[in-house]
Amino acid sequence: MVAALALYPFVYALLVASPLGTEAETLLPRVDTMVGVFYFGLFAMSFDFVSGYTGYLSFGHAIFYGTGAYFVVLAANGQVPLLAPGTPFMLMLLLAGLLAVAIALAIGALSFRLSGVYFAMITLGFAQVAYVFVRGWDYVSENPKDGAAVSTDVHPDGFDVGIPWIDALNLEIGRLTGDTVEFLFVSLSGTEVSYYMVGLVVLVCYLAMQRLIHSPFGTVLLAIRENEERAEAVGYEPFQFKLAAFAISGFFAAVAGGLSGGYGRSVAPDSSMYFLVTGDALLASIIGGFGTLAGPLYGRLFDETVREFLSKRGSGGGLLPYLRDHLPASVIEADLVGGLTVGGAIETFLNGHASLYVGVIFVLFVLYVPNGLLGTVRDRLGGTVAKQLPDYLDRYRRD
Amino acid sequence: MLRTAGLTKRFGGLTAVDSVDFQLRDGELCSLIGPNGAGKTTFFDLLTGALEPTAGSIELRRDGEWEPLTDASPAEVAQAGVHRSYQITNVFPERTVLENVRVAAQAAGPNDWKGWRNAAAFEEHVEEAYRILDRVGLDALADRPASALSHGEKRQLEVGIALAGDPDVLLLDEPNAGVSSESVDDIIDLIVDVARDHAVLLVEHNMDIVMNVSDRIVVLNQGAVIADDEPEAVQDDPAVQRAYLGGYGEDGREAPTTSGATTGDSADDGTDAGEGAEP
Repeated sequence: MVAALALYPFVYALLVASPLGTEAETLLPRVDTMVGVFYFGLFAMSFDFVSGYTGYLSFGHAIFYGTGAYFVVLAANGQVPLLAPGTPFMLMLLLAGLLAVAIALAIGALSFRLSGVYFAMITLGFAQVAYVFVRGWDYVSENPKDGAAVSTDVHPDGFDVGIPWIDALNLEIGRLTGDTVEFLFVSLSGTEVSYYMVGLVVLVCYLAMQRLIHSPFGTVLLAIRENEERAEAVGYEPFQFKLAAFAISGFFAAVAGGLSGGYGRSVAPDSSMYFLVTGDALLASIIGGFGTLAGPLYGRLFDETVREFLSKRGSGGGLLPYLRDHLPASVIEADLVGGLTVGGAIETFLNGHASLYVGVIFVLFVLYVPNGLLGTVRDRLGGTVAKQLPDYLDRYRRD
Repeated sequence: MLRTAGLTKRFGGLTAVDSVDFQLRDGELCSLIGPNGAGKTTFFDLLTGALEPTAGSIELRRDGEWEPLTDASPAEVAQAGVHRSYQITNVFPERTVLENVRVAAQAAGPNDWKGWRNAAAFEEHVEEAYRILDRVGLDALADRPASALSHGEKRQLEVGIALAGDPDVLLLDEPNAGVSSESVDDIIDLIVDVARDHAVLLVEHNMDIVMNVSDRIVVLNQGAVIADDEPEAVQDDPAVQRAYLGGYGEDGREAPTTSGATTGDSADDGTDAGEGAEP
């Protein structure tokens, strides 16, 4: 999977340049979209880390994502005390993560006195307080409701990664439109560089969480999810484990937020602290598979691909512009029902209604694929894909 | 090994456990019996920290010293070496049988939280889990999810999880509850085997089992200890007979406190009524 993702920008470029270029553009997510899939996928995985593995729905998880995004943007603008605007990006991510850990410990210490729906509600409450706060926080910018952007005066270039030998290769995170980087034998656009750098951070974070899940610590989380009373009776203090999981999850959520702030060079309350951001993570987790860790990333990929496919944007494809450009005029003007032409129907049903269709897909997933994409695949194979696929193929070949 | 003094639990106006002075001695198998609603499970919940006592104290003897356990949380009680099984099966249903026991062994094992190592790489926990599965007779089912076990096997797993905590004191709450008569013998053998190297407090309704395996029997009625003696002596105790017949035999009417004219039946009748009280 990692290899497939590593090759994706090249495959995408090749396909777009091929005779089937417009079809490829219509169907496949752009590299730019994929960067978003990466960092938001990391956020969704961090959500799954606490919600899927302890069974406590962290409905206010956006607070950590927002913390990371705000921290990085403010730090890049030199608005965080003691932190110079030129602070290496990796250090910013780390500090953002640690800040989120502190917030998570404070919120968790109060919230884990509750369980079930009450836990979800109190964490949501905390996040909404933070949301209302940043909307009115004029330290951030003149118009805090719209958020803030990384100033080109203070920070003209992309973000240096902060690891010396990587910086020497001129690999930077952040939109560098039109910039190309020569790296070994290939030439990469700014977006592609971001794709790899963001992807690398996400990969490292995923591996770290994956190790924790399979460690003794992770097995205790699963025990708590299944039977908290018994976990306590065999000698684990559930409160401590839940709080630790919450803090770890907050750390990675803030790293994800930091990546989004760094890549987009901006932050806005509605796309970082708002409860619908948590909703998107929940959506990705349900579609990808709750309690599978990697699943939410695939869930987000699915979600974004569908959204882009059904979007009205002309650049980078989408079903609407494709149909508008490729259907013959006679079909488009043909009368469908009661004066509604085919073209009119396409405009009506596809113009910016992606969320509606994603909502329908979400409902279908909850009803018919309750284990999500990855969860279902794992159930079928009887274990993780990496472990089971070789055996499975082998058996298939022999049969 | 484990003792309580004046242990009391009130729920509103109801006194579920009434000033109980109890001692479990080293290496003995003591049975706790009493009619339904006598407060046996509440007493267990108090001992394990699941409920907070209204009054009284609990102490555990470790390394020759009595240590207070009254305000300990369930996890602290478990870490101190007191483990329990549940009357209603209470396992980790989606985990395998092995993992159920392994995660309990891990709690008791050396606290080695090297977060980056796979849990299965801590061989001492895995080996301990296999040893226990062998002992409770579930080794052949190690890879089965716990939810796929039969009721009797789940009862064995209950005891297995409690054993995996490496307990000094084992509290078994009706390990035979709902088990078919063929499987009962297996579980009795297991209890007798476990009692060889642990102090065991057993709640059990089947009087044949209680009389056969116990070193000592404590009888609770309406939250209070009404008898505490060797099996034969308890069997002949008129107060015990009254509690069983009076408490159940006459439509839940309270047991008569004066020496009863209504009872006076033989011990065997009392035993039968006790069994009958179990649904």
